[in-house]
Amino acid sequence: MMSAVCRCAQLGQRLVACGVTRLQQRRAFRTHARQLAFAKDLFLGQVNKAEVFPYPEIGNEELEELKQLVAPVEKFFSEDVDSAKIDQEAAIPPETLNGLKELGLFGIMIPEEYGGLGLSNTVYARLAEIISLDGSIAVTLAAHQAIGLKGILIAGNEAQKQKYLPRLASGEHIAAFCLTEPGSGSDAASIQTRATLSQDGKHYLLNGSKIWISNGSTADIMTVFARTEVTEDGEKKDKITAFIVERAFGGVTSGKPEDKLGIRGSNTSELSFDNVPVPLENVIGDVGGGFKIAMNILNSGRFSMGSSSAGMIKKLIEMTSEYAATRKQFNRSLSEFGMIQEKFAVMALNAFVMESMAYLTAGMMDRPGVPDCSVEAAMVKVFSSEGAWICVSEALQVLGGLGYTKNYPYERYVRDCRILPIFEGTNEILRMYIALTGMQHAGKVLTGKIKEMKRGNVGLALGIVGKKLRRSFGAAVDLGLTGMDGVVHPSLAESAKKLEQNVVLFGSTVESLLYRYGKTIVDEQLILKRVADVLINLYAMTAVLSRASRSISIGLRNHDHEVLLANTFCSDAFFKNNYMMTQLQKHSPENNDADIKKIAREVLEKRAYICSHPLERTF
Amino acid sequence: MKCARCLLQLCRLRLGGRSAPLVRSLPSSHSWLLQHTQSQVLRQFHVSPSCPKTRPVPAEFNEANKQKDKSLATYDDLFEQGAKEAKTKATFNKVVEIFTKASVRRRGHVEFIYAALKKMPEFGVEKDITVYNKLLDVFPKEIFVPRNFIQRMFNHYPRQQECGVQLLEQMENYGIMPNIETKVLLVQIFGKKSHPIRKYERMMYWFPKFKNLNPFPVPQQLPEDPVDLARLSLTRIASDLDAKVTVYQLPCTDISESGQEITLPHVVGIQSPSQMELLAKHNPSRPVFVEGPFPLWLRKTCVSYYILRADPAPADEKKEDPYDPDRCLIYPLQLDLDLECDLGDDESFDVEDLDEGPVYAMCMTSQGDQATLNLWISGLQKSNDILGQVPTLFRLDAGPQELQWVDTDSGHQQQPDSETHKEASQPEVEIEEELTRSRGMKQ
Repeated sequence: MMSAVCRCAQLGQRLVACGVTRLQQRRAFRTHARQLAFAKDLFLGQVNKAEVFPYPEIGNEELEELKQLVAPVEKFFSEDVDSAKIDQEAAIPPETLNGLKELGLFGIMIPEEYGGLGLSNTVYARLAEIISLDGSIAVTLAAHQAIGLKGILIAGNEAQKQKYLPRLASGEHIAAFCLTEPGSGSDAASIQTRATLSQDGKHYLLNGSKIWISNGSTADIMTVFARTEVTEDGEKKDKITAFIVERAFGGVTSGKPEDKLGIRGSNTSELSFDNVPVPLENVIGDVGGGFKIAMNILNSGRFSMGSSSAGMIKKLIEMTSEYAATRKQFNRSLSEFGMIQEKFAVMALNAFVMESMAYLTAGMMDRPGVPDCSVEAAMVKVFSSEGAWICVSEALQVLGGLGYTKNYPYERYVRDCRILPIFEGTNEILRMYIALTGMQHAGKVLTGKIKEMKRGNVGLALGIVGKKLRRSFGAAVDLGLTGMDGVVHPSLAESAKKLEQNVVLFGSTVESLLYRYGKTIVDEQLILKRVADVLINLYAMTAVLSRASRSISIGLRNHDHEVLLANTFCSDAFFKNNYMMTQLQKHSPENNDADIKKIAREVLEKRAYICSHPLERTF
Repeated sequence: MKCARCLLQLCRLRLGGRSAPLVRSLPSSHSWLLQHTQSQVLRQFHVSPSCPKTRPVPAEFNEANKQKDKSLATYDDLFEQGAKEAKTKATFNKVVEIFTKASVRRRGHVEFIYAALKKMPEFGVEKDITVYNKLLDVFPKEIFVPRNFIQRMFNHYPRQQECGVQLLEQMENYGIMPNIETKVLLVQIFGKKSHPIRKYERMMYWFPKFKNLNPFPVPQQLPEDPVDLARLSLTRIASDLDAKVTVYQLPCTDISESGQEITLPHVVGIQSPSQMELLAKHNPSRPVFVEGPFPLWLRKTCVSYYILRADPAPADEKKEDPYDPDRCLIYPLQLDLDLECDLGDDESFDVEDLDEGPVYAMCMTSQGDQATLNLWISGLQKSNDILGQVPTLFRLDAGPQELQWVDTDSGHQQQPDSETHKEASQPEVEIEEELTRSRGMKQ
């Protein structure tokens, strides 16, 4: 059986290999590096439709290869992976790991010349959909290739790649990404691990400890970030440097695996480095250039969470709908009750939106040049991690008490899912990233205009007021999504109009926010949260419109269902966006921020819930 | 006859649970008994003019009372005599009981209540609601309740009402909240719309509202131990949950070789982690000051504290941490924009935002001389290395000793200790002495 799987995978590899060469050939046509800025342009009230329409697709051959690759993986996960056991024993059995290795899943994105499958982001996203059926395996693999070996892949030199990637691709060696420390999460300034040059100048000596390292106990190759002394302009400074550390170097000890709520089969542990000698050639990139590398690794790993979550929800819909259709209450099956139906609609909508966003982003990332899609990827991560949490909990709710027991996998999904909003950058910090990156971009463009307005340029101010008035009297907003040169199918025209309206309003909201706060907007986290949420909704609307338009146009099966989902999501998001943007207006009665901050301040001052007990009395 | 009925009621009330039910339960055929009681009451009523002479004084007080019987201050004396042994709640209650039982009519109860109110603090019962209720109980019931609209319109039994209000007023002054018993008594005595009831209602409106108004409540009973008191006061001033209290020296008395008694004062200090951080950033070329004593009132107790502070750093020395773009891995901590916050949204202006200079630590000691405070500073140095390099100036003044309230009556009086007293007697000079202390010197 195993050998059959293996053969299948090899076949897949071979087939994919020719696909990749073909792809590369195609890429050669467009050599100019593209500056992708769809999300950033939204901040200016513009839709850069060329970026997102039409929906990205893969070639026929690539699709065929993909299907051949997916089938054995799917088979493996449905037959050979016992998630309940993995969860219970808090370990992935070695035979399962071997199966994964034989399928080549440890080197999905490593180029073929280094022994990997060399697949594109899009295909990686497709595989992640299946891998996510077991949270522990998904996290183990992601820690290995999405972050663990990414450093070598994107910033390593040829020698490093030659030396490490083949064995990492085969799964002989497992990789880990070591950044977090007891005193440092996203704050690079508090990294304490230090690398000092040895006396003979041939080694760095690494000292310090890292916590919450996925694959910490199992990893053989680690990407470790440490402080090094760098001389810059004659000044000695501490800068972060990335190192490739082999466990074989000696001095690396790992602590007891953490006992976690979910993803229990994945290994998370503390790692400490005690005078670990790291040869000079194991520095990734430049000495002192670790910060950029860490940022790039983190930014590039996030997009796949969308398809993973979608894959999981699709599976959950299958399982729960089976139950809802067969379970009878009051002589009616559960599926006839409105409130149960709503749950399935929510799950379908979420899965559809996540999928659309994930593959749109993956497709954008696969375009030639080195497009920077980090904002888009962050949006996918935030949306899908929160959507997944809602859906998993709704799925459990369909089963009621049964779902709460260990007899069913739902409680495991709920536990596994809880990590999604936390790791790879918490959703809070990612929202800051999403909003601030856009604000920075818009600020650069609008500074001149805003300064002119502040200086009292009446003409400019009147122009803006006039524009706003015209819009409030119902002047049609047209950004070219529909109509003559439209890119959206007419059956989605209404939703496209909603998107356009929202985008234009968002542009003016951003402008007024910049006018009001300038660079101090960094400290207005509640405002930034809303800005990020609106932007995520706008991107999600774009993604579903683009996908559904393509589906109708080429006549995919059940495209009418897609249109329905797209329209439903767009009208829902439209209202939410309008509400949030109303809250962002000055003196808006919908905005409770001041009170919310005050509540928090009073509670935090006492570090307790301070209300008197309702049964308390004074006389 | 009406008057008689009224008195009968009063009598019933007075007799309390014992006879009242008996009388009420009498069947009409036994009216002769009723008649009898009535006549008894009536007779007593007529005797009243000679009351001062025949006032039934309990046997135990009889002797002492003989000479003072006629004076107006009899009620005061009643308390004085009642409390020959000790002035306690029990004796106070006994006096009230004696008065209540002395006469059915309780003649002179208004004067008695006034006298009792005056005496309450002496007996230490001024904060006891049960005692107030007992005093209220001295009032005869129901006779002062207005019976018709004319009575209700005019001030019915003004002296009695005023006395009731006065009693409530005293409760108010001592912060005693009336309870339901008080209300029942007041309704029984004065009726539902009387002045005392209105007073009661106002008290019940405001008291609960004020009860928990203080966000930093001071406990009713302050700790006796000076170290505990210092701990309480310091945490109260610091108002920082992270601040740590350290006892640098416990108070103790020792006898030196020469036979002299040496009293070591307590030294208790407080410092929070953020204060330590601030102190670590202090420029060692600028001095820090030990200043004090400053008064802190806790209810009726005044304690004094000392602070370790520095002058605000001059503008040119203040430097903000330069923005490090390589700090946050995920999002930019600052935007690279040339736009400031608009005036309408700039809420940073704050009239209270004055740079007074940082306070690094606080301490309390019973003896505010330099030697004792030095003990504190050297204790602080163990956790704040920088204090070894910074010149420490002592700016101590005479302190608030002159103002200190000395309670001559109470057992635990606050005696300003001799050491600080000496300082106080000196002309008000600032002891400003520079003392550069280094770690080397200390060892």
